[in-house]
Amino acid sequence: MNDKPVLGLLTGDGAGVGPEIIAKLAVGKFFEQYCRPVVIGDVRILERAFSVIGSSVPLQVIGDVDEADWSKGLPILDQRDQDPEVVKFGTLTTEAGKANLNALKLGVALYKEKKIEGFCFAPLHKAGLKQAGSKVESEHHLLAQLFNHTEPFGEINVVGDLWTTRTTSHIPISEVSKNLTVESILRAVRLANTSLKTSGIAKPRLALAALNPHAGENGLCGREEIDVIIPAIEKAREMGIDATGPYPSDITFIKAFRGDFDGVVTMYHDQGQIALKLRGFDEGITIAGGLPAPIVTCAHGTAYDIAGTGVVKTSAFENAVKMASRMANHLRLQA
Amino acid sequence: MEGKKFGITLGDPCGIGPEITLKALHAKMEYQKSALLFGTRSLLEYYNSLLGYEMRFNTIKKIEEWDDSAINVYDPHPVDISQIQVGVVTSLGGTIAFESVRAAIEFALRKDISSVVTAPLNKEALHLAGFPYAGHTEIFGAFTKGERYAMLLYSEKLKVIHVSTHVSLRKACDLCKKSRVLEVIHLAHETLKKIGYENPRIAVAGLNPHAGENGIFGDEEIKEIIPAIEEAKAEGLNVSGPIPPDTVFLKALQGSWDIVVAMYHDQGHIPLKMLSFESGVNITVGLDVIRTSVDHGTAFDIAGTLKASEKSLLKAIEIGEKL
Repeated sequence: MNDKPVLGLLTGDGAGVGPEIIAKLAVGKFFEQYCRPVVIGDVRILERAFSVIGSSVPLQVIGDVDEADWSKGLPILDQRDQDPEVVKFGTLTTEAGKANLNALKLGVALYKEKKIEGFCFAPLHKAGLKQAGSKVESEHHLLAQLFNHTEPFGEINVVGDLWTTRTTSHIPISEVSKNLTVESILRAVRLANTSLKTSGIAKPRLALAALNPHAGENGLCGREEIDVIIPAIEKAREMGIDATGPYPSDITFIKAFRGDFDGVVTMYHDQGQIALKLRGFDEGITIAGGLPAPIVTCAHGTAYDIAGTGVVKTSAFENAVKMASRMANHLRLQA
Repeated sequence: MEGKKFGITLGDPCGIGPEITLKALHAKMEYQKSALLFGTRSLLEYYNSLLGYEMRFNTIKKIEEWDDSAINVYDPHPVDISQIQVGVVTSLGGTIAFESVRAAIEFALRKDISSVVTAPLNKEALHLAGFPYAGHTEIFGAFTKGERYAMLLYSEKLKVIHVSTHVSLRKACDLCKKSRVLEVIHLAHETLKKIGYENPRIAVAGLNPHAGENGIFGDEEIKEIIPAIEEAKAEGLNVSGPIPPDTVFLKALQGSWDIVVAMYHDQGHIPLKMLSFESGVNITVGLDVIRTSVDHGTAFDIAGTLKASEKSLLKAIEIGEKL
């Protein structure tokens, strides 16, 4: 059929919109434009999704990726682990949580065996993972663990062509300042730099957002710019990274969306999230940054409230597949 | 000297203030009859000839000297044009900017003018000149009456009012107190009513990510913000929140609310600038002098090049007249 990258597609939580997204895109012949897809999930869940959207494609149930023949239908590694009777639309279950944990593990294992060149996962439910016994903070920590990864890792939010990483995330705003160090900022800078390079940008242009209004106005309203952000930028530049700033946060995103930068490193959660969500939440994706493999998901969640109705938009997951494909192609060139 | 008059302060003389002021008066000639300019006359003459306008100026000390056949100027600190270093932060720039604002406040308090529109000043220059104010908002706060005031950013698409402004993000957390949040909710309600909203729908943003998620990422929502919202609701105001900061602006934009109460400077400025760059208006609300301004800075990098846009200033004049 083609020489495009072999990508795993994890259906995610069967109670959410993930299976419907994959079903819609399969019917629309989307995947073959970017990859050779291999679905990882429960056949019954995917078939339920086909019936929700009222259309389907032939499935080819396989036991090993080597058996996949894309001329015979959409290959699926049937996990038989999300019983539609148990995993009802809009219901949080341990069964789906367990299935999602296993799917992530399988995805990483297949990547290590070089059977797939990366994967995209449809929305899963964090609480479901916890219920299923996952002890780590998020799926990104789990993935890093599976790769025995010690370098910086973490989620990278992408809307359009703009990548953002965060220095701090889910902590009180009053604690952001004390968590900003040259090291913590550099970690976010390196994460953005490494991952952008994986996507094929040779020398990413990174902007660092300031912490305080008007970038602190030379210390008049806050000293973090002088004490840690500027030293971090200098250090990054010594490392050969094209980092500039700190820019006042309200200006950073205007410049970034105008195309002045490839990535923005933010100091706290909402600094980036406010801008990205206004720009186009429907389109956003999240990259498991820093890891050796292209692993991408859509920024939106399981959307339990509309699961099973077929109204879900597929644009974010489309972008996730495009990005994983782009990254996999670039890794091939480097190999 | 018939009719309502308003003041325009030219801001830092080394920035784009004088240029955009003349451009605005050129774009809307009717303002030439009602605007009193506060700033350096020699600089106005300079831009007047540079722009090829044929405006005439009349310097006044008090309103009785008003001349309807010219553009009236109050020059608080007359200097020769050669003393002005365009595009540079200087102590002289800070002095002139400050004295212009002070004079405009005096005229407004005497009711000689009904509102003041301010062009941008440079805070560093202000401090160099020995005036330790964080900005226009704080100067107006110090020299006018009004126990409570706040910065409101106004655009057609989105309106945001701030609980704190020019302080470090760390300090902004300390200023997020129930009494202040309630005060700002009241200011939002009063201001929108003046502009014509019958029962303004007000959203209050959280301070922390996900609005604290029930205290997991910070407790200001539980201790300060929610009690303020409850009290405002009990008074009959149409208030919702705290809403997670990363969704509140999107929903307001989609029409769920008329105004958002932001907890700190950048929380409100990021969305507003993204949506209405250079067309937003900055209003200081709650004082006995009405003050509006452009929402951009002195733009020293393009000062003197005649590239600056007067759009925001025109909008600021229009909103000032409405209030």
